[in-house]
Amino acid sequence: MIDMGEVSLLLIIPLMTALLCWKINVRIGNKLQVAAALFNVVVGLFIAKNVFFHAPITGWHRLIYIDALSAFNVMLIVLIGFVASLYSVGYMHHEVAEKIIDAYKVRHYYLWFHLFLGTMLAVSVVNNLGFLWVGIELTTLVSALLVAFYRKGTSLEAAWKYLIMGSVGIAFALLGIIFLYLSGVDLFGESADSLNWTVLNQAAKQLNPQWTLIAFIFVLVGFGTKAGLAPMHFWLPDAHSQAPSPVSAVLSGVLLNTALYGIFRIYTIVNTTLDGKAAPYLIFFGLLSIAITVPFMLVQHDLKRMLAYSSVEHMGIITLGVGIGGALGLYGAVLHMFHHSMAKSLLFFAAGNINQKYHSKRMDRISGVVKAMPITGSIFLIAAFAITGTPPFNIFISEFTIMRAGFQSGHLAATVLFLLFVVLIFSGMMYYVVRMAFGEAPAKVEKKEMSRWSTVALFLPLIAVIVFGLYVPPFFQEIIQQVAVVLQGGKS
Amino acid sequence: MEQWIAMLLLISAIRLLQIRKISDSVSILAFQSFVLALTAGALWYQTKLPHLLVAAVLTLVVKAMIIPAVLHYTIKKIDVHRQVERVTSKYSSLLIAIILSVAGFYVTSRLHLPSTKFGAPYLPVSITLVFLGTFIMVDHKKALMQGIGLITIENGLFLVAQAISYGMPMMVELGIFFDMLVTVVIIGILSFRIHSTFESLNIEKMSNLKG
Repeated sequence: MIDMGEVSLLLIIPLMTALLCWKINVRIGNKLQVAAALFNVVVGLFIAKNVFFHAPITGWHRLIYIDALSAFNVMLIVLIGFVASLYSVGYMHHEVAEKIIDAYKVRHYYLWFHLFLGTMLAVSVVNNLGFLWVGIELTTLVSALLVAFYRKGTSLEAAWKYLIMGSVGIAFALLGIIFLYLSGVDLFGESADSLNWTVLNQAAKQLNPQWTLIAFIFVLVGFGTKAGLAPMHFWLPDAHSQAPSPVSAVLSGVLLNTALYGIFRIYTIVNTTLDGKAAPYLIFFGLLSIAITVPFMLVQHDLKRMLAYSSVEHMGIITLGVGIGGALGLYGAVLHMFHHSMAKSLLFFAAGNINQKYHSKRMDRISGVVKAMPITGSIFLIAAFAITGTPPFNIFISEFTIMRAGFQSGHLAATVLFLLFVVLIFSGMMYYVVRMAFGEAPAKVEKKEMSRWSTVALFLPLIAVIVFGLYVPPFFQEIIQQVAVVLQGGKS
Repeated sequence: MEQWIAMLLLISAIRLLQIRKISDSVSILAFQSFVLALTAGALWYQTKLPHLLVAAVLTLVVKAMIIPAVLHYTIKKIDVHRQVERVTSKYSSLLIAIILSVAGFYVTSRLHLPSTKFGAPYLPVSITLVFLGTFIMVDHKKALMQGIGLITIENGLFLVAQAISYGMPMMVELGIFFDMLVTVVIIGILSFRIHSTFESLNIEKMSNLKG
C-alpha cells in the first residue's frame, strides 16, 4: 500500500528543485536538476505502479485522488520532464556560449521549468475539479514566462497571445466548473466535496442533464483552448515555436495532454449523465483540428511551427478517438497520447539541435542534416516518419487502432475523413522533412553533433518510438486498458 | 438596493470603454471590485454563511487593493500619461456596450438559470459583466487594457458563482484569488517587457507571427 508520503514527494521535489536551482551556481544546478528529475521519475513510476497494479490512491481528506488516468498522466510528465531537463543542460550551455542569453538567466530558466513540471503534476493528482482548474491556470501562467524567455519581440508577442487567449479560455472553463458545482450542490448540498470528481462521477446518473451539458460545452471550449483544439488553437504555433526547444517539447508532449486530461475528467462524468450524447462534440472538435492542420502544414516555412501544427493534429486525433469511444476507440486514444508524447518531444529535441546548428528555424535554410549531424539527423528522420503515422513506428499502431474503432462503431464518414487528412498531412510534412534531411549541408555548418547531453537525451524517447511500434508489452496493454476503463466512467 | 449595486457594476464596466488614459482604468477597476466586495458582504449579511464573509474580505483586499496597486505600479513604470487606443469610436463603443448589456439581461431571463434566494438579483448583471469584459479585451488595443478586460470577466464569473450557489467552496475560491493575483503580476511583467521592446503597448505592433 502507499501513503501520502510519496505523493507529497512527487509534488515537493519539483518545487524544491526550482527554488534551489534559482539560488545556486549553474554548474551545480545543471546536475542537481537532472538528478532531481530522475528521482521524480522513480517516485512517479512507483506511484503509478501502485495505482495500476493495486488500487487508486485517495488521501488528504479526499483532496488527492490518483486513479489509472491520473497515474498515466503523471507517468508521462515525469518521463518527458526528465528527458527535457537532461536536454536542457546542453541546450542552455550552447545558448550561453553563443551569447544569446546571459549565464544567470539559466537559473531563472530552471526555476520556471521545474515549477512548470510541478504545476502539471498537481493538476494530475487533485480530486476537486475547482483545484484542477486552479492548477491548469497556473500551468498557463508559469509557462507563459518560459515562452517569453528570450525576450525578443516575437517571443513576447507569442507569450502575450498565449497568456491572454489561455486565460480567457480558462475563464470560460471556470464558468463550466461553476455549473458542474451547481449540479453537485443540487444533490449533495454546499460543501467542497460536491466538486470532487469521485463524488460527481459516482452520482453522474442523477445530475441535472441540462446544467451538465452547459458545463461540458464551456469546459470543452475553455480547456480546449489550452489543448490547442481548433478553432481555438491560434496561440499554439506561436508559443510552441518561440519557446526554447526543451520547453516546446514539454508544451507539446505533456502540457497539451494535461489540458486534455481536464476535458476528459469532466467528459467521463457528463457522458454518463447524458448517456453518450457528449461524444459527438468531441468527434466534431477532433476532426476540425485535424482538418485545419492540412493547409497550414503545406505552407509552413518554420520548422518548429510545422511541428506545432502537427500537435494540433494529434490533439485532434486523441479527441476523435475518445469521441468514437468504445473499448477499442478509448484504448487507441490513450495509446496515442503516450505515443504522441514520445514522438513529438523527440522531434522537438532534434529540431532544437538542428536549430542551434543552422542558427535558423527557416526550413529553406536547412539542408543536409543527416550529413552534418548523423545521429540527430537520422533520429529526426525516424521521428518524422513516426509522427506522420508510417509503419513500423509507434504512432501507426495507435492511429490504426482508432481507425479500426471508427469503422467498427459505424462512424464511417468521420473515419474516412480522418484517413484522408492523415495522408495529406503525411505528404505535406514529408516533403519538407526529406528536403531538410538530405542533400548537402551549407559549407559554414560544422559537421559535428551538438553536445553530448543534447544527443543522449534523444535516445530514451527514441526507444519508445521504435520498440512500441514493433511490440506493445502485455503489462503496458493492461495499463492502457485500465485508463480506458476510467474514461468510460467505470471505476477501475 | 441590490438593483442599485448591480447598476453600479454595470456602469463601472461601461466606463472602462470610455476612458482616455490607461491610468484611469485602475481606479475604475478598484471601484468595481469594491462594489463586488459589497455584494459578497451583503449576501453574507443576509445568509450568515461564513465563507461569504471571507470572500468579501478577500475581494476587498486582493481585488480592490493589491491588484490595482500592482497595475498602478506597472503603469507608473511604463508611462503614466499613455492614452488608450480603441478599435471603435467612443460613441459606437457605448452603443455596443448597451446592446451587450441588453443581451446579457435577455439571455439570463431566457436561460432559466437556477439561482439562490438572495443572489438572484445579481445574475443578469454578472453575465453582462462577462460580455462587457470580453468586449473590453477586443476593443482596446493596448496590452495592459486587455488585462483589465480579463479581470472584468473574472469579476463577472465571481458574481455568477455568488448568484447561483453563494460562491465556490472556500478553498477553491482561495485558489482562484491566488491565480488572479499571479495573473496580474505576470500581465504587469509582460506589459513592461513589451513596452521596453516595442516602445509601445499597442498590440497591433505585435503581428510578426503569422501562418
